Amino acid sequence: MSDRGTHGVAVVLDGIHKRYGTQEVLAGVDLEVHPGELLGILGQSGQGKSVLLRQIVGLERPDSGTISVGGIPLERYLAIPAGEKPFRIAMVFQGSALLGSLTVAENVALRLREHRQANPEEIAATVRRALEQVELSGVESKLPAEISGGMRKRAAIARALAIDPELILYDEPTADLDPILTEQIGTLIARIRQSRGSTQIIVTHNLGLARTIADRIAVLDGGRIVECAPPAALEASGNPLTREFLRAAGLGK
Amino acid sequence: MAVEAETLHTGVTGRTGAALLATLQSMGEGVMLLAAACRRIRFRQTDRERIAAQLVRVGTDTVPIAATLSLFVGMVLVVQSADQLRNVSQSVLGPIVGLAMTKEMGPVMMGFLLAGRTGSSIAAELGSMTVYEEIGALRTMDIDPVRFLVAPRVVAAAIALPVLVLYADFVGILGGAAVVAVDPGIQLSVPEYFSRMVEWVKLSDVLVGLVKGFAFGVVAAVVPCTFGLRTRGGAEGIAASTTSAVVWSFVWILILDFLIIRLSIAVL
Repeated sequence: MSDRGTHGVAVVLDGIHKRYGTQEVLAGVDLEVHPGELLGILGQSGQGKSVLLRQIVGLERPDSGTISVGGIPLERYLAIPAGEKPFRIAMVFQGSALLGSLTVAENVALRLREHRQANPEEIAATVRRALEQVELSGVESKLPAEISGGMRKRAAIARALAIDPELILYDEPTADLDPILTEQIGTLIARIRQSRGSTQIIVTHNLGLARTIADRIAVLDGGRIVECAPPAALEASGNPLTREFLRAAGLGK
Repeated sequence: MAVEAETLHTGVTGRTGAALLATLQSMGEGVMLLAAACRRIRFRQTDRERIAAQLVRVGTDTVPIAATLSLFVGMVLVVQSADQLRNVSQSVLGPIVGLAMTKEMGPVMMGFLLAGRTGSSIAAELGSMTVYEEIGALRTMDIDPVRFLVAPRVVAAAIALPVLVLYADFVGILGGAAVVAVDPGIQLSVPEYFSRMVEWVKLSDVLVGLVKGFAFGVVAAVVPCTFGLRTRGGAEGIAASTTSAVVWSFVWILILDFLIIRLSIAVL
């Protein structure tokens, strides 16, 4: 991996609205994520956290509002050919979303191979380094179905790291994982920030994880960001949902 | 609004209209997907590898079952026709089997086989990839799912099906010959079976079968890809997409079968 990905990019969301039928999922989200910041987005299930990530990565378009990444409007960024993008965005999906017909190594190499961004030897070396970084050496030739859920999550993170991204989005990276694996994934994400400086946005309902690794935590409720503060400040929050999360995590009354 | 729409769909007319609209929508999506796939056909190293993998899946893996089907269809054609012709002349058995296999049975049977066997697996695979966000993951990697998944399947099916049709014609005709050779109720020699067939079956008949094979191959890939990519929900959604893909592939194969044969009669 080159030095390209050692600086993160800013993400700015302004008045994002998204509606499915009669249900308004995002009701005017305003959010600013600083370059290199690790932001946790906390919220109950069904509050639109994943929808918000899908808007940022361009999988869905907001009904109204604007998104800019690295100072570029998202629409313009998405229209730039893959090899010419000024920075790269990667997303780690809740279910890992590894291609079932490809081996772990082929999954990690996929984007580099498809966009001919390196020769086969360089790609093999990049894949090896990415898998080492997530402590997943030795499973290169296995199919996703042949490894555990925790390993699939790490393989998905390796796939993201292989493209040297300036922005990484995680959708519930620790969902369905036991506490030990949750801690391992949390440590891995924190280490990525230390070593690469990528901007990272983590959607989770695991307050314990968020307060351990995030610089700030944004609380999404009713389709809006109702609070965004560093973990320590959040513990003194008067917001009912935040208090409920704190109480459930054994951190408040 | 939702309540009004629901009310509209409850009567017979409403339900019929809704079904018609859904059919038109899926047809439109299929045509758009085919156009998009055609625009994205490339033959770079990685594209060639994907097409080759699909050719194995569509073609090579289908050969044994195609042989079995064709053999028995050819045999049944001879037995049935011989019975019907026992008081007339069995000398036309060769032309009957030859024309039926090359123009109709070969292409339709192979089209159905591909739609049922490979088409269902394509719909289930793409449906599963859609539901489990693998398609979304491809998009986030700037990989076009149509170029990556749909185009290789369409190219492979369009190449493989005409070849399978030729193979089915050959095996079916041989199956008929085998019955002619051993069935004591048939008063026809094998050389006569073949010589009459060659007299009647023209190259244009074989070509019509190949054109059908090409068209049915495209249908057997595009329809399952369309239903697979529009899958919503979990396992139930995947099952529904798979069923719809197979049913609609069969319907479109028969519609195209009629159109091509009608056109060929008018032109040739």
